[in-house]
Parts: sequence; structure tokens; C-alpha cells
Amino acid sequence: MKPLTVIGFLGSTLDASKYGPSRWSQWRPSVALAMHEDLRVDRFLLLHGEKHERLARFVAEDVTSVSPETRVERRHLNFENPWDFEEVYGKLLDFALSEPLDPEAEEYLIHITTGTHVAQICLFLLTEARYLPGKLLQTGPARRSVDGRAPGVWTSIDLDLSRYDSIATRFAATTSENTFFLKSGIETRNAAFNRMIDEIEHVASRSRAPILLMGPTGAGKSQLARRIHDLKRLKHQISGPFVEVNCATLKGDGAMSALFGHRKGAFTGAIADRAGLLLSAHGGMLFLDEIGELGADEQAMILRAIEEKTFTPVGMDSMVSSDFQLIAGTNRDLGEAVATGSFREDLYARLNLWTFSLPGLADRREDIEPNLDYELDRFAEREGERIAFNKEARDLYLCFATSPAARWSGNFRDLAASVTRMATLSPRGRIDRDCVTLEIGRLERLWSLGQPGLKDDGLSALLGAERLAEIDLFDRIQLAEVVRVCRESRSLSEAGRTLFAASKRRKTSTNDADRLRKYLARFELDWGGLNP
Amino acid sequence: MIEINGAEGEGGGQVLRTACALSLITGEPFHITQIRGKRAKPGLLRQHLTAVEAARTIGAAQCEGLAMRSSELTFRPGPISAGDYHFSIGTAGSTGLVLQTVLMPLLLADGPSRLVLEGGTHNLSAPPFEFIDRCFLPIVNRMGPRVEARLVRHGFYPGGGGRIEVDITPAPLSPIDCLDRGVLTAVSGTALWTGLPPDVVEREILAAREVLGWPEEAFVERRLSDAEGPGTALLLEATFEQGREIVTGFGQIGVPAQLLAKTAAERMGRFLGSRAFAGPHLQDQLLLPFALAGGGSFTTVKPSQHTRTAAMIISLFTGRRWSFEQESNGATLARVH
Repeated sequence: MKPLTVIGFLGSTLDASKYGPSRWSQWRPSVALAMHEDLRVDRFLLLHGEKHERLARFVAEDVTSVSPETRVERRHLNFENPWDFEEVYGKLLDFALSEPLDPEAEEYLIHITTGTHVAQICLFLLTEARYLPGKLLQTGPARRSVDGRAPGVWTSIDLDLSRYDSIATRFAATTSENTFFLKSGIETRNAAFNRMIDEIEHVASRSRAPILLMGPTGAGKSQLARRIHDLKRLKHQISGPFVEVNCATLKGDGAMSALFGHRKGAFTGAIADRAGLLLSAHGGMLFLDEIGELGADEQAMILRAIEEKTFTPVGMDSMVSSDFQLIAGTNRDLGEAVATGSFREDLYARLNLWTFSLPGLADRREDIEPNLDYELDRFAEREGERIAFNKEARDLYLCFATSPAARWSGNFRDLAASVTRMATLSPRGRIDRDCVTLEIGRLERLWSLGQPGLKDDGLSALLGAERLAEIDLFDRIQLAEVVRVCRESRSLSEAGRTLFAASKRRKTSTNDADRLRKYLARFELDWGGLNP
Repeated sequence: MIEINGAEGEGGGQVLRTACALSLITGEPFHITQIRGKRAKPGLLRQHLTAVEAARTIGAAQCEGLAMRSSELTFRPGPISAGDYHFSIGTAGSTGLVLQTVLMPLLLADGPSRLVLEGGTHNLSAPPFEFIDRCFLPIVNRMGPRVEARLVRHGFYPGGGGRIEVDITPAPLSPIDCLDRGVLTAVSGTALWTGLPPDVVEREILAAREVLGWPEEAFVERRLSDAEGPGTALLLEATFEQGREIVTGFGQIGVPAQLLAKTAAERMGRFLGSRAFAGPHLQDQLLLPFALAGGGSFTTVKPSQHTRTAAMIISLFTGRRWSFEQESNGATLARVH
């Protein structure tokens, strides 16, 4: 057990008392701290000015009387102005540096109940900075006047907050609750995505500056923007609504009016006042998706609305003000758009403070499984029926979904649609192997449509998704054309003649039909199967 | 290694003090768990640390777990050294409790010792100096050794600042029997006070006289110097041919003077009405020296939980057993086997 040293100021008011016996029914912090049955002070460094010499001696005597174990050492610390921060801090720092304090040999408690507020703050700062290597000591009088309010109560506070498990745990729990919330409760595993969500949580909790979410269609920009709004609302950082618009839909004359509102009669068809989206978002959050699609005039107005929080509705002379947080979404490279002159550089600069790039689903393959469960939950919520995979089917689906063959070009939108299809088509609420095989075929057709040179070649229907996935694109293109020719031919021989026409002219091929049969057999295909 | 569950029996600090004393005397190490397990603030408090440290000092003991609020302690005793010792104990504790821990070991040391004890001398947690000096030590001296105690300065709660000095000359303890206290020869009441209004003391004395019917001249007021207070204690003393009892009422903030006097007087009245040699406090203090003497007996009032706990700890270390038998006159005969 290390000896305990208390460092504290003489309380020129609180420690003062009459010199008679009545002082024992008064709570004097410097004396009371030596009276606790669960605190033994071996040494007390009592700091005081020379003008309080007499009081200091008296208090020191009383301390040794109530606590003969305690050795009181007085230290002079004269302040010209005990409320002058610089002076008090400087002199206390000098004291801390000159006093031989050895935390290896002694424990220290820094008493902060006495002294001016400035002195208390300085003691706190010096303790936090470890110039005074101890814990803080707070003392107080007893609540009821039993025992003359002394010794009262004491608490020690360790400024090394990491030791406060409950606070640290709460802090960590809140942060993880927030990020969990931002992820819509999906336990995502992709490290880059999780790191980004942590950053967004950080930014969303501390900043009202615009946020730019980049990422392909269906990557979840809109959902994330809504979750940021909901989180800030939960934390009482904003109170207004979430207003969302896709700028690609704001083309032509209506765009200005939709965004900024108009006055009745401002133009033909303006039969009533319209508030506009910016005003509706007042006190809340405006999510402008596909902001790269916004026209030049609207860009200028938006910039002003962000910078000055004011704008002019169509047909109005006066300004309207609206205070909202902006989140912008884009699937285009806005930097490129600035370079080609289709996006304002100053608006881009405004938006480009907190830019987050949402990866597509194909780049977050480890998140497909948790999102699959999330989509099943959503389906159950929506349709009131819980659908489950059988194990084999689930493995098959995940094997395909996480393979390079799955392009997920529509990202989460594709996954949601895929789950909805399987869930709807599944017999008796179980998604089985057949159901998954058919779905894989559908997904492949969907993605192959967008792939240059690989339109729906009909091969997945012929070979099945699994076998098709094993065929190189190089071979697939050839096979697709071979199959097409076969289907257009009346016989195997005719198809052979067409396919090997050049060789035939050079007389290098003798049996075209046999050559074709052998080629098809490599893919476990035959004439009958191609032309049923 | 003797294992002790600190929450058993009386479950307070006495278990610890008795164990330390016995461990030093017998050389048996002990391990105690759930120290003061039955108290509102369990574990070692300041006065217990001081008591254990005092035992450690005189007996070169090694301790594990000796820390504030610790609930577990291992104590390995070394040889007891006679000498000059100075122990200090804060206001909540009492010098008497430290003395209780170190006296018996020093009585059996190889030379005389001198103790200076600083702290409380007259507070609620323990019998006051006068009790130790006039009731307990005379019996110890009758058993062989010579122990002399002097009160240098009173120490009341909360001011403390008391000081007592004790001179110890060891000698083997011989068994004695204290069965008959003899005829009551004198009664007296002393009201110690300082730093309080004088009428407080007058009310104390009046209240005690009302209960006991003792004559006015049996009471004295003793005003102490201001520096020793504030505080008050009413000491009621009954002297018999063969023994003495002192009952004390301690002043407490919030307790009226007449009430503390009345309570003390009623306790004295009950003792006078019994046939016992030892009152409730003397009872548990005699167990240790009698057991170490290897025999002896005394008559007393109904054994307290304190007493039964001390007897249990004594049998753990020495194998000696105390019996308590109720006699026909209502007194209890305590005998060590």
C-alpha cells in the first residue's frame, strides 16, 4: 500500500472558523478530508499565501489532531490576483515542477474543493496533463447535520477516462448504435464500407456542412441520406423533415418552381402559391440525388441557397429564407463534369467537403449475405410472410452472388428485386434449389443485356447458370453463334456446311457434321437438344 | 495457515484484532476473507489498517492485501520485538483498539516496551482510557506482568488529539479465578467536559442521580482545557472489594445529555443488580489473557456476540475452549479449558 499524499489549497473562506470549540461542528474541507474512516492521508501538501499563515497553521494543527497519522507540509504560493488564469496556472506549474513528486512511491490526490474557481480549473488542467500525477479529490459536507456536517463525503476522480468502464462502454455503445443505425441495422462486413460509415457517423454528429454521396445507381445513397437524417433527428440535432428529389426528374420549366417555389400567377399554370422543396426542407434535410443532372440556373440558385440560406421563388421579388442541411447524391464524376463545363466549379467546391464514395454491391461481396437476410426481413414486413431458403439453395445462391459472374450492375436494387422474385415464386415459403437456379438464369440475362457483344444469347436456358458460369467468355461467344446457326439450320449437316464453309472450299474438312457434333458434345449438347 | 471467515459471528473489526494478536503470539499465519463482512462499509477501514500495521511492526509480520477497503488479508508473523513504539490512529478510531491488538504480544515479549498511542481516548467505538486503566489492567497485573498506563491528553470525537502512554513489563501469565466481586465499597461519577455549555454537564449528573440514587457528593465535574475538546463523557464507576466496573456515556451531536446519562446509569444499575464480576466490556477483554494463561475463570453477565466471536478465534489459534454456564444466581461462569 503506497502512502497517500493530498495536494490542496487552504480554503481561505471554507477552512476559516472561530478559534473556539464550535469549529468542530463546522465542515472545513481541509480538516474534514483527514477525518474519513476510509481515507488515510499520510502527507498533506497544503498550499497557501503568506497572508493566510495564521489560518494555515491553525488548520494544520487541527489536521494533525484529528489525524495524527497525517504529516502536514505547508507550501507558500502567493498570488497577486488569484483570479488571474495566467498567473495561477504559471505558479502552480512551477510548484508541480519543483516539488519532487514520485507516483511510483506515493499516491496523489489533488483536492479541488478549495481555492478560487480559477485555481480549481488550473489544478484540473495540471492533473489532466499529468504534471500533477494523481486523481482529483472532491469533498463535501454531510447532507444532514449529523456529526456537525464533518467529515462529510469524498470522491476521487481519475481523469484517465479509459478507466471508467461504464462511460467508455456507453460511449462505444452509442457510437456503434449510431453506425448500426446508419447501416439500417445490417451487420455489414466490408471493411472499407464500415470505415466509411464510421466516418459518416463522426461527420453527421458534428457537422452541418453539405455531404456528397457518390456511387452507382442502387448503391444505397438515398437510403443512407435518409438514415443520416433520422440519426440527426434522434439526437435532436435537426427537427425538420427529410425532403428528397431526383434532379434528373427536374427538367425544363418546372425545375425552378419545384425547387424554389413560385407565386400564384407567376406563369401559366401557376394557379396557387407553391412552397418548393427548399422551403419544405427548412429545419431539416434536403437530399438532391443525381445533382449532376441539375441545370445551370438551378445550380446557381442552389449555391446561393447553401451559402446565404436565401433564395427567390419564381415570380417573387423578395427573398425567402430556409435553413436546411444539404446532402447531394451523384453517380457521375462531378470533377469531370466541372472540367467539361456542365457543372459549376464553385458549387462542386461547396459540396466536396465531405465526400463519401459508396461502393457498389459487386465491391462489397462479403455484405451480400447480411443484405440478403435484410431483404428477407423486409419482404416479411411488407408481405406478412416469412420466407426462408433451404440450406442447399442458400449456399447455391450465395455462391453465385459472390462469384465474379454476378455483376450486380443494379447493386442493391438488383438484390432486392432478386429476393422479392424468389420469395414470391417460392413454393410454401421455402426457397429451394430449383427456385434459385431459375433466378440465377434471370439475373444473368438481366446483366448480359447491358454487356456489349453479349446480348441474351439463350445459353443459360440451354446449359443452366452453373455450367454457363464455368465457360469462358471467349468460348461462350463462339458457342452462342454456333447454337444460333444450328437453330436456323434444318439439319446437323446443313449447320456444319454453314459453319465450316471456308474449310469446305479449301477442301480441308471432310465431315462437317461430325466436327460440329464433337464440338457440341464438349458442352454436353446435341442436335436434338438444340432443335427439339 | 488458519482460515477465518471475517463475516462470521460478530463480523467486525474485533475478529481482525484478536487474530493479529494471537497470530503474533502463536506464530501461526492466518488468512481472513470477508473482512468486516457484516458491516455497512465492509473491508479494512483506516483504524483497522492502523491496528494491523501496529501488529506488523511489533512482530515483523508480512501482510498481503493490506489496503483500504480490502476484504481479504494474509498475515504471516515474525518474532515479536519489545521496544518503544509510537502508533497514531485517526479520530474515528480509538487508541484502546490499537492497544488491544499489541498489548498481549508485548506482554509475552522478551523485554519491556513503551507505547505512545495518539488519537481518540474517549469515543464511542471503544471503552475509554479509564476503563482500560482501572478495570482491565489491574486484572492483567494480578496475573503477573506489570502494565502502567497514563493519560496525557484527552481525545474526543471529532477533534481527537488524545495521547496515552503505556509501560509494559512482561512476565508469564498465571491463571486466576475472579468469581466473587465482593461488597460494593464506593461509587462515583465523573463528568468530563470541554467546549460545551456548563448546563449540559449539570443535566447529565441530574439524570444519572435520578436513576441510580447516588449522593450528590459522589459526582465531580471535570472541565478539561479548550484544546482537548469539544466533548463530554460521563463515567460511572462502582468499586467492589475485588473488582471494578466503569460504564460510560459519550456525548454525541444530536443526543441530549440527559439521555446519554440515563442510558449509562441504567446499564450500571443492571450490573449492580447482578452478581457478576465482569461487565459486558470486561468480559470479552478477559478472554485473551485468561486463555493465554492456560486456565482460569470469572463470573460475568450474559455473553455477548463479541465475546462468543473472540472465544471462537481463540480456539482456532490455541485450541483452548471457553465454556459459558449459567449459574443459579443468574450470573454466567466463564471458564477456559
